[in-house]
Amino acid sequence: MLLTRKAQTGGAPQARLARGLSGVLAKTMDRRAFLQRSGVTLGVGAAAAQLPFNMIGDAQAASEAAGGKVEVKRTICSHCSVGCAIDAVVQNGVWIRQEPVFDSPLNLGSHCAKGAAVREHGMVHDSHRLKTPMKLEGGKWKRVSWDQAYKEIGDKLLAIKTESGPDALFVLGSSKHNNEQSYLLRKWISLWGSNNVDHQARICHSTTVAGIANTWGYGAMTNSYNDEQNSKCLFFLGSNAAEAHPVSMLHTLHAKENGAKVIVADPRYTRTAAKADKYVRFRSGTDVAFLFGLVYHVFKNGWEDKEYIRQRVYGMDKVKAEVMAKYPPDVVADVTGVSEKDMHEVAKMLADNRPAFIIWAMGQTQHTNGNAVTRASAVLMLALGSAGVTGGGANIYRGHDNVQGATDVGPNAQSLPGYYGLAPGSFKHWARVWNVDLDWLKKQYASDKMMGKSGITVSRWHDAVLEKKENLDQDTSLRAVIFWGHAPNSQSRGPDQLKAMEKLDLMVVIDPYPSASAAMFAKVRKEGAYLLPAATQFECAGSITASNRSLQWREQVIEPLFESRNDHMIMYQLAEKLGFGDQLVGKRNGKQNIKLVKGRDGMMEPDVEDVLREINAGTWTIGYTGQSPERLQAHMRNLHVFDVKTLRARGGKDAKTGYDLTGDYFGLPWPCWGNDKVKHPGTPNLYDTSKAVMDGGGTFRARYGVEKDGVNLLAEDSASVGSEIKTGYPEFSDKMLKKLGWWDDLTPEEKAEAEGKNWKTDLSGGIQRVALKHACVPFGNAKARAVVWNFPDAVPLHREPLYSPRPDLVAKWPTNDDKKYVYRVPTLFKTVQDKSVADKDSTKFPYILTSGRLVEYEGGGEETRSNPWLAELQQECFIEISPKAAADRGVRNGQFVWVSTPSGAKIKVKAMVTERVGNDTVFIPFHFSGWWQGEDMLAYYPEGAHPIVRGDAVNTATTYGYDVVTAMQETKTTLCQVTPA
Amino acid sequence: MRRLRVAAALLAGAALLGLAACGETEQVVVYKQGKYQGKADSNPWDNAPLAYGHATWKKGDKASWENEINTRNLSQNEYRRIYNQ
Amino acid sequence: MARMKFLCDAERCIECNGCVTACKNENDVPWGVNRRRVVTVNDGVVGAEKSMSVACMHCSDAPCMAVCPVDCFYRTEDGVVLHDKDLCIGCGYCFYACPFGAPQFPQAGAFGMRGKMDKCTFCSGGPEPDRSEAEFKKYGRNRLAEGKLPLCAEMCSTKALLGGDGDVIADIYRERVTRRGKGAEVWGWGTAYGPGKPGAQPPAAGGKS
Repeated sequence: MLLTRKAQTGGAPQARLARGLSGVLAKTMDRRAFLQRSGVTLGVGAAAAQLPFNMIGDAQAASEAAGGKVEVKRTICSHCSVGCAIDAVVQNGVWIRQEPVFDSPLNLGSHCAKGAAVREHGMVHDSHRLKTPMKLEGGKWKRVSWDQAYKEIGDKLLAIKTESGPDALFVLGSSKHNNEQSYLLRKWISLWGSNNVDHQARICHSTTVAGIANTWGYGAMTNSYNDEQNSKCLFFLGSNAAEAHPVSMLHTLHAKENGAKVIVADPRYTRTAAKADKYVRFRSGTDVAFLFGLVYHVFKNGWEDKEYIRQRVYGMDKVKAEVMAKYPPDVVADVTGVSEKDMHEVAKMLADNRPAFIIWAMGQTQHTNGNAVTRASAVLMLALGSAGVTGGGANIYRGHDNVQGATDVGPNAQSLPGYYGLAPGSFKHWARVWNVDLDWLKKQYASDKMMGKSGITVSRWHDAVLEKKENLDQDTSLRAVIFWGHAPNSQSRGPDQLKAMEKLDLMVVIDPYPSASAAMFAKVRKEGAYLLPAATQFECAGSITASNRSLQWREQVIEPLFESRNDHMIMYQLAEKLGFGDQLVGKRNGKQNIKLVKGRDGMMEPDVEDVLREINAGTWTIGYTGQSPERLQAHMRNLHVFDVKTLRARGGKDAKTGYDLTGDYFGLPWPCWGNDKVKHPGTPNLYDTSKAVMDGGGTFRARYGVEKDGVNLLAEDSASVGSEIKTGYPEFSDKMLKKLGWWDDLTPEEKAEAEGKNWKTDLSGGIQRVALKHACVPFGNAKARAVVWNFPDAVPLHREPLYSPRPDLVAKWPTNDDKKYVYRVPTLFKTVQDKSVADKDSTKFPYILTSGRLVEYEGGGEETRSNPWLAELQQECFIEISPKAAADRGVRNGQFVWVSTPSGAKIKVKAMVTERVGNDTVFIPFHFSGWWQGEDMLAYYPEGAHPIVRGDAVNTATTYGYDVVTAMQETKTTLCQVTPA
Repeated sequence: MRRLRVAAALLAGAALLGLAACGETEQVVVYKQGKYQGKADSNPWDNAPLAYGHATWKKGDKASWENEINTRNLSQNEYRRIYNQ
Repeated sequence: MARMKFLCDAERCIECNGCVTACKNENDVPWGVNRRRVVTVNDGVVGAEKSMSVACMHCSDAPCMAVCPVDCFYRTEDGVVLHDKDLCIGCGYCFYACPFGAPQFPQAGAFGMRGKMDKCTFCSGGPEPDRSEAEFKKYGRNRLAEGKLPLCAEMCSTKALLGGDGDVIADIYRERVTRRGKGAEVWGWGTAYGPGKPGAQPPAAGGKS
């Protein structure tokens, strides 16, 4: 009987006690334990108190014993871009439980805390969702009917349009809309007459897309999470995958277990770093210097892949010259804080273990020179020959569940669906696809000039409200804003957003949750806002695109709850009110592209499958043409046939439709060339010349002409397997087909359509079909550009952040000059940095403030902080501060502190003393909102629709700073001071 | 007389001791494992598989239920799914 | 004969809390009751941070069962330790006895009344008819009676947490340790009681517990 323990001899129990105490008293404490000790158990009042003692669960989630037919619906988690499949068990229309989908090749049944908790979205009892439309009246949120809300919002919007023009409206669109909703939203704003629409990609990977697309063709993840299993080295620079993409770590750790090396470089010792073979700490904001410090060692030791560079890279010699001159080890050590020894070791690990991946997320993107950072990453991979190969490349971890899809076909300020730029040719193309009269469309816009101009971004919407219209690159300042599935606390400069809300004529929030927008608006205004309850992604069907470019089809799990309506129904109903309902569904001249079907309560909504078919009909640039609803649904029904390492189906026939899955890559990752009859299998790894194009292979894209300054821009002696053209070639057009003698491969109908068109605008798909027939890639075969001459810094250059802790380095590596307009809004760089130096900010605010993710929450956080299972795990906003910094500032573990920044704002958070951060850096997670500078905003939320956990948003205090190319915000690096409260 | 009294005292003492030995309780707790006092519980394999899903064991057959469980257990080993085992 | 066990691979656990919310989800566990928790040692210490998911260990010789004054615990044929809530008096003695803190008590009332003990059931319910509404409300889901395993182990994001028959999960774990060449030193005497050196051996003199 082991009840009693015999006494120990020796020092063993002493040692045990000492270590236990050291965990409690001194520096390090587990984050969870910290919050349990310090936090209030906010939910105590909730369910437990009302239950009889021997019960634990409420009746809502009954067991199957309750009776009634049970259905299993297959859907995808809506919380990140890994795309974990979920089997939702529904009985009598109630979502009663969820089961893992072991067959999915992407997640193999795994989930993180958020994915394992999605059933809460379908719970009616004690729900914190926005349940009815609401209007702000006398400072209080009053319930109104949908009809009244539509009427008042529509009338107001039309009045504003008449007075100030269509550009007075800005829509913050959503990366959580599915592909069909995203696509309709881009159409919606075009039909309204403006390009003023944007979504979370702006503040997420806009710098990636711009930087990478300009390097080698597309700005997306080159390979997949799965492909990491084929890699020898995984280099995380600016990614905390263990918290942001937990299930991707299944592939990463499986690879590590089988010999791959894991390197993590991060200012914090993150949970991802805890799994690394080599961890390097460096100063936030010095990524270009760090990357080029590695490239220096690559060139110095001759580790570059010379043959690869000769065949597939342009401009590497210029880059090499600049790297060797500007980034020698001593300079890099001074700028980044990393020793030459560590840099050499990392570079050697990458060189010795090829192919290698560089993996990043916000750590690289959210800087004023983010476009340069991402390009420097690409240059590193190109130098090593680790790009455009299986097991190597740039694994860009996207954020929200459909940010990839929304970026591809959705609400971007600078492009139409499919990255078609805002040129007359693009509008002509899309007007044809949409079955909308081009002249009518042109008249909707304020002018032809405005039609071709990129819109305002989510990061600057408040500046566009507050700025005088003479300073803006449009005829009016913003008067109305719609937050359509977007939170405000993920954008920087909260106090400026509050000021903008004071000035707005109209704010509409369309979201399943009121979000911090509602609370902030009610804090400063008495009327002028409406809240419309949108349904979640489990209450509608549609496709979404995971980070690896695979499309997955979601089935509808339950009917929209409460009075919510799904987003495409709201889009259609608002469009009807605003006068372009017919155009939204392409109804003209007796033809209608998108049929209307009955949604909830018999109300009509656009049919999602028809919307996807329209996307297929028009998105030739990125190959969204082959992913028909039928193929995608067959994939979802037959997950087990797909191989995990290659994502390819070894065989199999869909029982329901007879579709033959053999050879398809899971989710038909784009580009899936040609229409679905071509049956292209999708492209799992971009630019991979080791495969034939009909096997998923590819080349680097030819976008910038055939030569520059006398140097050939097309690939040399390199082409995808089986290509009939054995060397580089430009993008395909009718002229090129005629020159090659392949024009007659087209059918007569295809010839009629393809005449005068190229691979992007030929709606018959014939040009692409013929190119594929000859094993050539429709977008050409070129060299990747290490020098991007159309960007401010053709070779990526290190520039100090606007608020830098090193004034001496600011002198040597200054930021850009001020710009008159970046996306229609004046944008300062040098002025802000110079002022920061003159004000001696680095002494007054001695700590680098960086922000980032927690695994339990997502984005702005109001959705996940309303889920009790998640909220219980992180109950307060906190700041990670090192033991030395805490001692210097007189801060104790668990104490409230004020964090103030040069912007003048300050926030109140709880201090967590930990060795995770260095002595010069502090970290605050960005998911919190619901407090304003220490004051709880509970009173400003609609009743019953507040998040359970509220805290100060770090973005209330973050400072000015925007990327010079994309207007990305600099939320990874600013300065702050910490004072005990 | 005196001998009798001593004998009586001794007898009384012995009796007391004897009585004490009978009625005295242990001062130290001696642990005895208890027996479960609650309701009876049934075995998992005595149920039929759910109407939906892919479970196939036979109700009442422990071996086939264990087979089901152990096969499903292998889903927690990603090597199986990756190497098509 | 199945002998149900949990095993958490500390080399893979990334403290994502998927196991925690999976349990809450499947068993409708209220706020304040934490059947499963993730424990992290050396949080934030470079080179030393490790996490592990902990719930009831379903001990062969369970201390909770030994000390319960009303004998409400029993062990099933598969080795799962369960209890009868109708008998439980909420004394909290099992909470003292358990080295892992598995017994949970729903907090209620102004004076912190303890209520009935609740704990991880290895997703096999309790002494009510299997898969009935009563069993679900009192003990949570009975997945074993559906031919499934605990949801925490089935949903673990990196397949760190394994749950099922001891032989099967030991095999899975062994294959990993073989491939990675390390991992087993997380367990054992030296790691638990020694000066922290991996693979340390128990002291020559001195008793085992």
